[in-house]
Amino acid sequence: MSLTIATNVIDLSVINWDDIMQATLETLTMTGVSLLFTVLIGLPLGILLFVTARRQLLAQRGVYLVLSLLVNVLRSVPFLILLIVMIPVTLLLVGTSLGVEGSIPPLVIGTAPFFARLVENVLREIDRGVLEACQAMGAKTHQIIFGALLPEALPGLLAAITITAITLMSYAAMSGVIGGGGLGDLAIRYGYQRFQTEVMIVTVAVLVVLVQLLQFFGDRLVLHFTRQ
Amino acid sequence: MIRIEHLHKTYRLANRDVTALNDITLEIESGEVFGVIGRSGAGKSTLIRTLNLLERPSSGGIFIDGEDITRFDSAALHKLRQRIGMIFQHFNLLNTKTVAANIDWPLKITGKYTRRQRAQRVTELVDLVGLSAQRDSYPAQLSGGQKQRVGIARALANYPHLLLCDEATSALDPETTQAILRLLLDINRKLGLTIVLITHEMQVIRTICDRVAVIDDARIVETGKVADVFLHPQHAVTRKLVAESHSFDNDSALQPHQFRGKLVRLTFVGEITYQPILTHVTAATQALITILQGTISRIKDTPYGQLLVELNGSDDDIRRVFAHFDQYRIHHEVLS
Repeated sequence: MSLTIATNVIDLSVINWDDIMQATLETLTMTGVSLLFTVLIGLPLGILLFVTARRQLLAQRGVYLVLSLLVNVLRSVPFLILLIVMIPVTLLLVGTSLGVEGSIPPLVIGTAPFFARLVENVLREIDRGVLEACQAMGAKTHQIIFGALLPEALPGLLAAITITAITLMSYAAMSGVIGGGGLGDLAIRYGYQRFQTEVMIVTVAVLVVLVQLLQFFGDRLVLHFTRQ
Repeated sequence: MIRIEHLHKTYRLANRDVTALNDITLEIESGEVFGVIGRSGAGKSTLIRTLNLLERPSSGGIFIDGEDITRFDSAALHKLRQRIGMIFQHFNLLNTKTVAANIDWPLKITGKYTRRQRAQRVTELVDLVGLSAQRDSYPAQLSGGQKQRVGIARALANYPHLLLCDEATSALDPETTQAILRLLLDINRKLGLTIVLITHEMQVIRTICDRVAVIDDARIVETGKVADVFLHPQHAVTRKLVAESHSFDNDSALQPHQFRGKLVRLTFVGEITYQPILTHVTAATQALITILQGTISRIKDTPYGQLLVELNGSDDDIRRVFAHFDQYRIHHEVLS
């Protein structure tokens, strides 16, 4: 009985699987490309935050405060607002504010500061004594950062990248609101605006599977680089 | 070789100034093992960390081979640090690098050696510290003693003339401590390397140091040869540290008022430790000697003995006993 009701409500035959496939690929592209730029911007920013903080390798109070403020301001803007505010900038950068390309700049600006903070925290977890030992050996600051600090932090950084990738994926879905493409866009156009609940359910299911996969492979990588 | 002159260090903590080093003046000779002992918070850690400027002194000079290192620019400081090895209480190894890679790292930093030269040096060093079988292990797979051996090999990589040991054995069990101290002493002799170590354990000082400085409340209160400081401590802090290390005078069963005769502490140093002195003395005098407590041990390579004895006899006998002790060069101290 309940089974018939369920099949009546969820009629999978109305779903265009090519659309789902296409949207999934778009979501993966958006997530992948923005993850790349987020790491390219957020990693140096996070390293700078770490080394310029009080009592660290290159303690620079002024620099730290400015960077920290910038990161905090960007992080306090709700992503939905950022999506809209960024439209002129996005137009300037990639020529369109729509589709896969149009969603990448706001995604990067929205998550890079978040990732930078994660990086800063991961680096703070590294034993001070290890860095001190490098200083005592006569290592220069850049040698300490690239030869000791980052390799030691690798498992933590991979975990931070995993978290960021998952955050990006959910933000990417949100960019569907302003016509960003991908699974979010599909869910809004069909599931919400055309009342096709089935599409909504399938897109959410696909997202759940993608997040699970990301977390699984992320954890595997972290484990691989943890030398226990 | 190292001359520390009027060194001061003051920290600003919250709203008050804390003095960590107060007018420290010391001279450390080339090739010796120099120990600094003190309680935690006495300033010993700050002192050893100023020797490679991990800690900047507030004022005063540190002269290594005649040059004041506090005036070095950063390039000169990097070069200097490459020639000063340092080992730590918690080893401070890179956890994501193998034993071999940890030892290779200081060699890589200098940019002076080819890959082949570095590999050869790493092999020499793992042999020296007895870790050839573990060269491809990660620190997490090693015991505390093995980790410290890696620390030592790493510190020796760039042929340092000075090795700084910051509580290097404090995280190790007694047996491992002895093994590490033996290794350090061995290196000191084989390579002629100067070692400066800090510790809170008199046992460590007694095992490997030639000279010792006692630091208390940011000041040096006593300096001298280990045998002198250990057997005849002058300052109250030193006495306490020595007493704790062999629980000699702490025994409540030995209260002076329980004895009718004179309570005397005898100290023998050197070969005389193995001579039957008390037998000679009792044969030559009428005095009765009761041994209450005693120890025979070594300070580095020098045997020494300490006896707590009760002397009974006429004043004349006792004078003659003391004359004999003087003749044998046995230090005697009347406690009551």
